[in-house]
Amino acid sequence: MQRKGDAQLKHKLFSALKKLFQVLLTLFLLSLAVFYMSRLAPGDPLRSYYGESVERMSTAERETAMERLGLDQPVYVQYGKWFANAAQGDFGISFKYKQDVSQVIGNTYFNTILLGGSAYLLTFLLALGLGIYCALKEDSLADRIICKIGTVTNCIPSFWVALILILVFSVLLKWLPSSGAYPIGSPNDLLGRVRHLILPLIVLILSHLWYYAYMIRNKLLEETKQDYVLLCRTKGLSRRTILWKHCVRNIMPSFISLMAISIPHILGGTYIVEKVFSYPGLGTLCFESAKYHDYNMLLVLTLLTGVIVILANLLAQFLNDHIDPRMRQTKRGFLR
Amino acid sequence: MTGNPFELVGLQPRINTTVAPVKRRHGRLPVVSMILLGLILLGCLFAELFMNHDPLYLNLSNLSSPPSSSFWFGTDPMGRDIYSMIWYGGRISLLIGLLSAALSTAIAVIYGSISASAPKAVDDGLMRFAELVMSIPSILTVIFLQAVIGQSNPFALATVIGVTSWMNMAKIVRTEVQRIRKSTYIEAARTMGAGFWYILFKHLLPGLIPAIMFMVVTNIGAAIGTEATLSFLGIGLPVETVSWGSMLSQADRALMTGNWWLIVIPGLFLVATLVCITDIGNYIRKENNRKCSNL
Repeated sequence: MQRKGDAQLKHKLFSALKKLFQVLLTLFLLSLAVFYMSRLAPGDPLRSYYGESVERMSTAERETAMERLGLDQPVYVQYGKWFANAAQGDFGISFKYKQDVSQVIGNTYFNTILLGGSAYLLTFLLALGLGIYCALKEDSLADRIICKIGTVTNCIPSFWVALILILVFSVLLKWLPSSGAYPIGSPNDLLGRVRHLILPLIVLILSHLWYYAYMIRNKLLEETKQDYVLLCRTKGLSRRTILWKHCVRNIMPSFISLMAISIPHILGGTYIVEKVFSYPGLGTLCFESAKYHDYNMLLVLTLLTGVIVILANLLAQFLNDHIDPRMRQTKRGFLR
Repeated sequence: MTGNPFELVGLQPRINTTVAPVKRRHGRLPVVSMILLGLILLGCLFAELFMNHDPLYLNLSNLSSPPSSSFWFGTDPMGRDIYSMIWYGGRISLLIGLLSAALSTAIAVIYGSISASAPKAVDDGLMRFAELVMSIPSILTVIFLQAVIGQSNPFALATVIGVTSWMNMAKIVRTEVQRIRKSTYIEAARTMGAGFWYILFKHLLPGLIPAIMFMVVTNIGAAIGTEATLSFLGIGLPVETVSWGSMLSQADRALMTGNWWLIVIPGLFLVATLVCITDIGNYIRKENNRKCSNL
């Protein structure tokens, strides 16, 4: 018994280490690729640091500036330096903001988490509700109307939805603010923050909701064609009870993995919406740094997004292995 | 009391034994979408016949003027006629959609076929790479590539969009190629001495087309949407190059002054095109699925 427990622990440790190694390798390759490509780019990074004064620099001044920022060495040396520093938590300075990259990101990442996180949760809650409703009323008038509206909203670009909402609610009706994360000068005003969140949230939810709701609806409909549903019907359970107690439970594992793999999708959407609403977050930073060739910043932002996505995938795997009893039994190796 | 023994024990004759025929809702051609999309396509192709102003002429006496009998959809802050710009700029938008869909399809077919026919280790590696690329938000990859290329012409933009949207299709191609390769008619062709290229062009590609057609159509729509998003955000086409996206990139100024026509009208054309394309894509997918299940 003791030996078996030991072996199990060892196996778990080994697979955890393997996972960790894979994650680190992926991140390493990602940073290498992004670093190389950004240094091959034609844009002048000096311009983002010194602005227009680049034009007036003499050749000697340019060279000193390049040397000071470490831009004169071959790319692999630059990467080596960057990597050594990054390992100690120093990701270099942002050419545009002339601050540490980690500091600039530290100031803004919370806004993105607030917007993206609440949009993410609300989208999936609503999608689950809508999916269940449509599955329950399959092919009824309500279902067909929802499906049509959903398909249309799904293919409208989110920036246009945002523009229309701003036009209606900020410009015409003047109910809600159109940009920023909080009223100017009072970042601690909770109500103000909520008011600034409403429009971006609506846009994010509208542009993602139907994609997931439709998937859940179809998954549920597939599930209702199973034999056990027939058995439940003969037992005399109502449609509602069967759907809630059995079908919804059975699709939960695929729902959770859907939630995990959709993180990059919703994060990407958040970036766009942030830019449209000039919401100070990672997305706005991304666009700014791409525009001004601020490569240190872009590199870290790409890596950070990569880390979030990879962690989400790992979490999904872990949850999937543990939430569904069927998966536990068929797992290779150790049967419990 | 009747003499029917069945009714005596409580069995009733079934009244209605014919099953109502299941209504087939799919298989109906999306006529409205096709006509609308056809009209937009024709309008953009023969833009010269429809335009009543020069779309590039900056009419400085009519900056941001509302829709009128002379300027049907109004003018933008640079004094250009929006009605003419829509037909003229639609060309660029549609061109980018078609080009990038073609590029991503080509990449996907080649990548997927290689992955399906390669040894398992290579196959695993290729699929891992596709998943890696897919896991980064595509808007980030597009921003990044666009920053690296540093040029803002329609071809560069189409390349960037095409290069970042092949992953899903490559996966489908891989599964399809694997399925087709295993089927007996390929084996039969091989035993009769057919070469690799012959099998590729005569058997694999025709078998692939129905499976990826839906993705191709969807990709065209997605690429048009991405172009508009990028140009709107200021990292796609510049304002001087007229496209639906670059027209919308002036929306910031229009919002402040309340010039709704600059935002609503090009956007409606964009959305109508996207909805039609999606509708046709969905039809193709359903049609394809139906054929599969009827076999």
